Amino acid sequence: MKGVKISGRPLYLDMQATTPVDPRVIDAMLPYYLSRFGNPHSRTHLYGWESENAVETARAQVASLINASPREIIFTSGATESNNISVKGVMHFYKDKKRHVITTQTEHKCVLDSCRHLQQEGFDVTYLPVQSNGIIDLEKLRAAIRPDTGLVSVMAVNNEIGVIQPIEEIGQICKEFNIPFHTDAAQALGKIPVDVEKMNVSLMSLSGHKIYGPKGIGALYMRRRPRIRVEPQMNGGGQERGIRSGTVPTPLVVGFGAACELAMKEMEYDDTRIRGLQDRLLKGIREKLDGVVVNGCMERRYAGNLNLSFAYVEGESLLMGLKEVAVSSGSACTSASLEPSYVLRALGVEEDMAHTSIRFGIGRFTTEAEIDRAAELTVKQVEKLREMSPLYEMVKEGIDLKSIQWAQH
Amino acid sequence: MTAAPAAPSRAEILSLLRSLLRVSAKFSDYNIREYTRRRTIDGFRQNRTLSDPSSVANAFADGKSELEIAKRQAVVYSLYAPKVKSIIELYSKSGV
Repeated sequence: MKGVKISGRPLYLDMQATTPVDPRVIDAMLPYYLSRFGNPHSRTHLYGWESENAVETARAQVASLINASPREIIFTSGATESNNISVKGVMHFYKDKKRHVITTQTEHKCVLDSCRHLQQEGFDVTYLPVQSNGIIDLEKLRAAIRPDTGLVSVMAVNNEIGVIQPIEEIGQICKEFNIPFHTDAAQALGKIPVDVEKMNVSLMSLSGHKIYGPKGIGALYMRRRPRIRVEPQMNGGGQERGIRSGTVPTPLVVGFGAACELAMKEMEYDDTRIRGLQDRLLKGIREKLDGVVVNGCMERRYAGNLNLSFAYVEGESLLMGLKEVAVSSGSACTSASLEPSYVLRALGVEEDMAHTSIRFGIGRFTTEAEIDRAAELTVKQVEKLREMSPLYEMVKEGIDLKSIQWAQH
Repeated sequence: MTAAPAAPSRAEILSLLRSLLRVSAKFSDYNIREYTRRRTIDGFRQNRTLSDPSSVANAFADGKSELEIAKRQAVVYSLYAPKVKSIIELYSKSGV
């Protein structure tokens, strides 16, 4: 790459953006890229039948990870598509009676953008604020519900800060008012137990490439009892019960299914290990540095996501300095912009702290050596930047930064 | 389902462990290599307490199929290994 000289491949700590594909997943997929290339919708020959069987096996694997029936799983291109179908599809289907959507300020861009789209069509949207720990206030949710509320959409695990929303409680409230509940579980699937019955969700978005599966595949869970209906976004051959027309990509679906089965088998093992690594990273950094803040609730969070802010340091310089560590300041979708993350702003994080956030994503394949190295490099870089920083000097001299009158610029 | 296979002998189990460790070392990718090794050791350690013959046989069969997958995938990974190694490997080699 231009201007950046690296001697080796950086160690990867950006598991929220995407995860490497597990070799066991590749192994399941490869046959469907080679001789078993049939179209799963071909009903007249063996090629079609074997592909269809593989797709149905995968559907059952996905369903069993979330305790659903295989008939409630619709394969899509990913969580973004599932979110779009859920938010726009439900509201369009019930548009005569339901004109209001409730979501949160910290949702993923694709939910927020779908809501924005609905607003342009004349729907009302309530964007619930979150508390400073990133969790929504259930009383505020209850208060926001109106007779014409057609959907509540709250993500399970936040992609930027990793906090886990009280999905079961939200599901309970939605059940009470008989409102369909959609949750984006892309970051939760395979990492925390997800159960559509316990959580009482009507729709759930799932993604393959966040759970060591292939990119370009995801699923939408749609409850059958009581039945939830949506208006399809894609019209065509009527595949996936008309919700999502287009040939189902057999190899990707098989990979997604294998990833789900693995996730079920490995969840406990991975979780113990990832927790240990998170502690190790946080300790390694906190031992040597002061002014390190964890963004989001510490108790209700997925351990594989550690979002830290380093006081008196500018985030982009820190990221540039950490070229041997593949990390991100937040969501990959917005990583090109210098704006601080809207999620952190919704938490009420001060502008300067929101600018210095780094998200460390730990996964199944992360090693202790990588964590130690990442901690060491981060500490070194932050110390170097603080040494140059006049702000840090002033703080050390006991000047309160908030009392400074900055000249207008 | 066919009848459960007979429980493997101690020698068979140790041989499976050795084969898994040997094939895990063949992965060109640093993270996969470390994971396969770690998961093998932890898996065997966890299953050490198994006493019921049928669960021992099941664990053994799982291990066998993991071995087959690892053998194939070690080849696939080596075919497409990037020219540049992971930064961690470079450090551990130079002793920094």
